[in-house]
Amino acid sequence: MGITTILFWFLSALALLSAIMVLASKNPIHSILWLIAVFFAISGHYILLNAQFLAIVNLIVYAGAIMVLFLFVIMLMNLNSHTEPQKNIWMKLAGVISGGILFTILISVIRSSADMVNRTAQLKEGNIGLINTLGKVLFSDYVIPFEISSVLFLSAMVGAVVIGKKN
Amino acid sequence: MHITGLLLDAPQANTAANYLPIALQLLFALGFVATMMIVTHLLGPKRKTADKLATFTSGIETHGNARTPMAIKYFLVAILFVLFDVEVIFFYPYAVNFRALGWSGFYSVLMFVGFFIVGFFYIIKKGALVWED
Amino acid sequence: MNAIILSAVLGVVMMFSSVFVKNKSALKHIAAAGLLVLLIANIADTYGCSLFKIDLHNMLRFDKFGLFFNTIGIGATLIYVVLSGRDIEKSGNYVAEYFALIFFVLCGLTLLTSFGNLLMLFIGIEILSIPLYILTGSDKRNLKSNEAAIKYFLMGSFSTGIMLMGIALIYGGTGSFQLEVVRSVFASYKGVSFLEIAGLLFLLVAMAFKVSAAPFHFWTPDVYDGAPSVFTSFMATVVKAAAFVAFIRLFDARVTETSAAVDWKMLFSILIISTLLIGNITAVFQQSVKRMLAYSSIAQAGFMLFALFSLNDMAKEGLLLYAAAYSLATIGIFAILIKMKDVSFEGYNGLAKTQPLLAATNTIFLLSLAGIPLTAGFFAKYYMLASVIKTGSYTWLVIFAVLFAAVSAYYYFRVIQAMYFKNGEAQTDTITPGFKAGMVIVAAIIVIVGILPQTILNWFYF
Repeated sequence: MGITTILFWFLSALALLSAIMVLASKNPIHSILWLIAVFFAISGHYILLNAQFLAIVNLIVYAGAIMVLFLFVIMLMNLNSHTEPQKNIWMKLAGVISGGILFTILISVIRSSADMVNRTAQLKEGNIGLINTLGKVLFSDYVIPFEISSVLFLSAMVGAVVIGKKN
Repeated sequence: MHITGLLLDAPQANTAANYLPIALQLLFALGFVATMMIVTHLLGPKRKTADKLATFTSGIETHGNARTPMAIKYFLVAILFVLFDVEVIFFYPYAVNFRALGWSGFYSVLMFVGFFIVGFFYIIKKGALVWED
Repeated sequence: MNAIILSAVLGVVMMFSSVFVKNKSALKHIAAAGLLVLLIANIADTYGCSLFKIDLHNMLRFDKFGLFFNTIGIGATLIYVVLSGRDIEKSGNYVAEYFALIFFVLCGLTLLTSFGNLLMLFIGIEILSIPLYILTGSDKRNLKSNEAAIKYFLMGSFSTGIMLMGIALIYGGTGSFQLEVVRSVFASYKGVSFLEIAGLLFLLVAMAFKVSAAPFHFWTPDVYDGAPSVFTSFMATVVKAAAFVAFIRLFDARVTETSAAVDWKMLFSILIISTLLIGNITAVFQQSVKRMLAYSSIAQAGFMLFALFSLNDMAKEGLLLYAAAYSLATIGIFAILIKMKDVSFEGYNGLAKTQPLLAATNTIFLLSLAGIPLTAGFFAKYYMLASVIKTGSYTWLVIFAVLFAAVSAYYYFRVIQAMYFKNGEAQTDTITPGFKAGMVIVAAIIVIVGILPQTILNWFYF
């Protein structure tokens, strides 16, 4: 077992544990802190895959900015524990069953698809995830989605003003 | 591979092994914080009386709840920050390929930034960043 | 390409009108003029006059079907703005922004009618959805509007997440986002693996959510009911039809005809049956016309799903006709609903006496939705069912659909009954002569299309 394998298992375990803790924590602030741990673990995975740009973007945008937004949202709300509604046990059960079915299907899909067996991701090296390869593709082949996404940002700005600004 | 060799060499940019120093630093930072917190807990004197544990509010009795909803203004600024943060992220891959992409890359980035400047102008004109209202 | 770029630019123009145009009532004229320009530019594009020459890298593929649908969507939006522009003005303080968001939705619509790459599908769906979340919550002081917005946003982003998962699985299986590559992989029986099929199923779930097909419809009634009526009108018509076009572009015949593993026809027939069943049966029990229309829009989605079931040329033509007929009629009904003081069935009592013209046009719209002959809705439904018969199997599905069309007539006629045969004083806002003229024109279009569907289709489409 090389160091990469050990790191892979460690990061995967960390990501899964943190993700479970996001759901299991009673306190929403703790959920968010665990979510940050998930993002860090996934960034570690990106580095293992040598997708360095994604790793950094994941930290800057998600762990840095979006998590702050999440914290703001929670602080905007009035979160006193007695106002929390009681969830129906049957709803929980239905959720567990449907989630479990989805989980089983996904696992069986990956196990049964013939071309996935005996294939591993390219680890540690390769140029695909590097920032200059990504930049070349982004500004040539994928330039149209890139430009169009600015429309998305504009509508988000308008939305922020419409919803967030006091009249 | 010998670990000091890894640190001293300047290997080619495309292996994840380059991140070993960063990982070490991260581990060290985490370890330092954890050690400090544990050690101070162990070494520091403990006097857990009710008065000592009460929240300090300059001598006035505490009242109310710390969890009051805060103004939405913070959120507006934060979400606008995220939008422009994402815009800046897109500059990294462009900057690395600045020469290779030539004029066509420049125009596409210019158009992207143009849209954002339009949005920025709109935000300023709407007074979304004005704190007092 | 004209429509995509122009709609984005016009959205920006509307954003700046909010800063520079002080006269609020001028905004709807600017928006209407912009829509007219957009409409003309798109029609020009349909006949080969493109203003922009851009290397598309196969990201977008323009065909007659998509461009013609753009014309329908933009035209319906124009009619919507002309009819309900004054009500948009009244719905809040950010009138110019609402119009800007509508233009951005149209940008998403034009992307969805021409995407050639799964990435563009994703961006199109997002550009279509995000302005809608905002429009749903635009009535900030109203708790129901807030609730609708947060529900719509949470459920919508969840379904977008499922869509992304599906795209990722398809990419994992085929190694490409390009629709052509994905199609050719699906078309060759040997190449398709469970990864791609699972991915396509995820996409099916996400798209079924966007068009509010039955097991994924739970957001629809609350969102349509809670959102300000003017924006419900837009959401239930143009946007839903756009989602259908994206759906049929994605589930091209070459994708679903693989015999491997999944019986797509069966899958779609289950979707259709549950959508028709839930939409129609629940609509019968509603007390509010607005909520009834929300359920009826689910039921109509069930009919539009027939196009995805049969996936032949007739289905494609039929979908265009259906989108036009359904959008026009629903926009008309909502335009009247917004003017009503009380949106329950009782609120319509005696409308024929106070506003005979509105009652008459409303009747035509309702008849069209019910699919009564001599209206556009009849031929729309006819095309859908005929396309199923053309495939040669599943004839029982047609019988089922006809039965539920009969059920739908019940709740549409309840409104007509309230307007004509019940005593009461229906309260409306002031109705301008211009509004009446607009309603008459829309009703006339519906009747003309109902009488001469083939001519209209040939004239525009071929």
